Amino acid sequence: MSVDLTKNFFEVFGLPQQYEVDRDALASSFRALQAQVHPDRFVNGTDEERRIAMQSTAFLNEANDTLQNERLRARYLLELQGVEFSDETGTTNDQDFLMQQLEIRGLIEDAENATDPFEELDQLRKMIKSRKLDVENNFQTSYDQGDFIVAKQAAIKLRFCERIFGEIQAIEERLEDL
Amino acid sequence: MALLQISEPGMTTAPHQHRLAAGIDLGTTNSLIATVRSGSADTLADEKGEHLLPSIIHYAENDIVEVGESAKEKALEDPMNTLASVKRLMGRGTEDLTTLGGHLPYDFADTESSVPRIKTRAGEVSAIEASAEILRVLKARAEKTLGDDLSGVVITVPAYFDDAQREATRDAAKLANLNVYRLINEPTAAAIAYGLDQKAEGVIAVYDLGGGTFDVSILRLSKGVFEVLATGGNSALGGDDFDHAIAQWVLEQAQLENTNDQKLLRRALTTAREAKEALTGQEQVKINLGGWEGELSRTTFNQLIDSLVKKTLMACRRSLRDASLEKDQIINVVMVGGSTRVPYVREKVAEFFEKEPLVNIDPDRVVAIGAAQQADVLAGNKPDDEMLLLDVIPLSLGLEMMGGLVEKVISRNTTIPITRAQEFTTFKDGQTALSIHVLQGERETVESNRSLGKFVLRNIPPMVAGAARIKVIFQVDADGLLSVSAEEATTGTKSQIEIKPSYGLTDVEIEGMLRDSIENAKADMEIRSLREQQVEADRSMEALDAAMKQDESTLLSEEERQRLLAARESLAVVRSTSEHSEEIKAAIKAMEKAADFYVERRMNSSVREAMSGHNVDEF
Repeated sequence: MSVDLTKNFFEVFGLPQQYEVDRDALASSFRALQAQVHPDRFVNGTDEERRIAMQSTAFLNEANDTLQNERLRARYLLELQGVEFSDETGTTNDQDFLMQQLEIRGLIEDAENATDPFEELDQLRKMIKSRKLDVENNFQTSYDQGDFIVAKQAAIKLRFCERIFGEIQAIEERLEDL
Repeated sequence: MALLQISEPGMTTAPHQHRLAAGIDLGTTNSLIATVRSGSADTLADEKGEHLLPSIIHYAENDIVEVGESAKEKALEDPMNTLASVKRLMGRGTEDLTTLGGHLPYDFADTESSVPRIKTRAGEVSAIEASAEILRVLKARAEKTLGDDLSGVVITVPAYFDDAQREATRDAAKLANLNVYRLINEPTAAAIAYGLDQKAEGVIAVYDLGGGTFDVSILRLSKGVFEVLATGGNSALGGDDFDHAIAQWVLEQAQLENTNDQKLLRRALTTAREAKEALTGQEQVKINLGGWEGELSRTTFNQLIDSLVKKTLMACRRSLRDASLEKDQIINVVMVGGSTRVPYVREKVAEFFEKEPLVNIDPDRVVAIGAAQQADVLAGNKPDDEMLLLDVIPLSLGLEMMGGLVEKVISRNTTIPITRAQEFTTFKDGQTALSIHVLQGERETVESNRSLGKFVLRNIPPMVAGAARIKVIFQVDADGLLSVSAEEATTGTKSQIEIKPSYGLTDVEIEGMLRDSIENAKADMEIRSLREQQVEADRSMEALDAAMKQDESTLLSEEERQRLLAARESLAVVRSTSEHSEEIKAAIKAMEKAADFYVERRMNSSVREAMSGHNVDEF
């Protein structure tokens, strides 16, 4: 038993190729497939069986991680449509959005020096979460309409959101380690 | 009436296919072995009925190695030959010893190996070899109880163990001649035991505070699938640190904090541990040390350990965040590890998770039991079983980039096994090699992370900067062990290494140890080569003596003669005093070197002699 590595991540889990993901369906499909192909099932198997198990499981984990994460999922959908881009270097020209990012960075700095930085950072995280939700809606609408140019812009914005979450997390961990 | 199934030693109830498998909890303080029999998992006792094997090794006279209770009894009288808490040294480098604190009352050897070695009566011993002694005892216990060889084991490690620490554990198993099906994380093992026992579904947290390590894991349990969502902890924080905090306090109270008396320090630690255990049931405890008498109240104890407990809660907070969960989504908190008996720990954990933690399972045995259940599944004894473990890597893996920064390739809490590739390029025109430095940890700079290994991808065809496409592939297997390969995509130039952590033993070292442990012949070999070199030295000196006697003073000036005699004397001294073959070998070389000119002169002279009276044409 192995996983068909030529299928795309949606097909593997039997999910429709769209931005919205039924997380419960994804989780149960993921578990059912893992239960069949996982290396734990082939500990006493041949080298080939174990290699295939390892490849299949690694593929499923990659697929699951991609569909779980909003940014990766958005990018993957675009890639399946032939829209390739690097989200490392991709930039947005949405001035309002960029202004918002600057503003948030200022707020993060303030929060770091607040009396209760954890509480302040937590508040900020909630705020960014709600803005991220707007970006996601924007992606979904434009993607569904086949407007991949706008969708790509939204995907890049998701990268910005993720970076900010990462920065907040890094600050929290730095403060925790003190 | 059906007869009870009792298997004879050497026979199993299922005649074929059934493989004997066991779970081993290789702990800082105590170790256990468990196995599944007649469908239920339990830990195995020694002949005295004890399940817990103290993780203490005593190197006694006459090459006797004691492990467990009998070794523990020697800790006070023979501290330098009694090793405890060696798990703290697993996978650690010599330079880590300072950061591990002045906690380790051992005599460390100066060694060229990157692995710290402790000087004992039995020679220099690494934590890996000491751990192998514990594993050997457990293996023997299981094979005696079960009446047959073990076909494989699952060994548990703290979830927060890094790659080097995991490799070290595997190395110890190799030395003990154990076939390791899998290394699994301790909190995951506890979750299996708890989940299978309670038929639990939903998200749980496992708070595992052992003797020397702390882990927290958040898992989702669903229809036999144990999915780790996040894990965190500290691989150098545990109940030992509570003991040290108390011992420090007692020494200060007794105004003995500057003592260097190893026996007193050991006694302070023993006293501290007893006091800690007593404070689980009572509010205060009397303490005697080095003539000082006093009392330690639970309140003071709580203050002493407060910062340590806070550290564990920080890790809980972080793991919840990594799992993107709120506290109220956790249905149960399972307490594991002997140190969770401390009331203050329970109190603080309850406060943090806003619910009473579960303490009704034996915190000492639950990990070994879970490991045994997983071992049974991996051995293939339960082909229809639905149970499946999906675990994660505890620490991010990355590569060194320009400027000493780390680029993460696989972030922590990624489900394993996993393969991930990252593309890089050259930064100089005509660059033909690329150095790849693999790191583990969460920090941004190279120095603050653990270096796992370096390798170089060579033979990259010269191209302009940025044109080469170098794909670095990280592969983490189901044990959480990493291998890395690199490939230049346009030409297919490849390079691959199994990442051997910088703080592990090299294959050569392991090979050497294996040989020693099998043949136990290291000492014999040294003695043999010592004898050989002594004979060689005698032979050389005799040859020189004979030559000088034969030539009298015809070939040598008096000054040269004295020089040769001096060189001979140096060798004679080394030959009669040294116990190392290498030293004698070097001394022989030195004498031969000093006599080089003489040998040459003698050869020329003998050639001349041989030729004299002969016609050149005769040759």
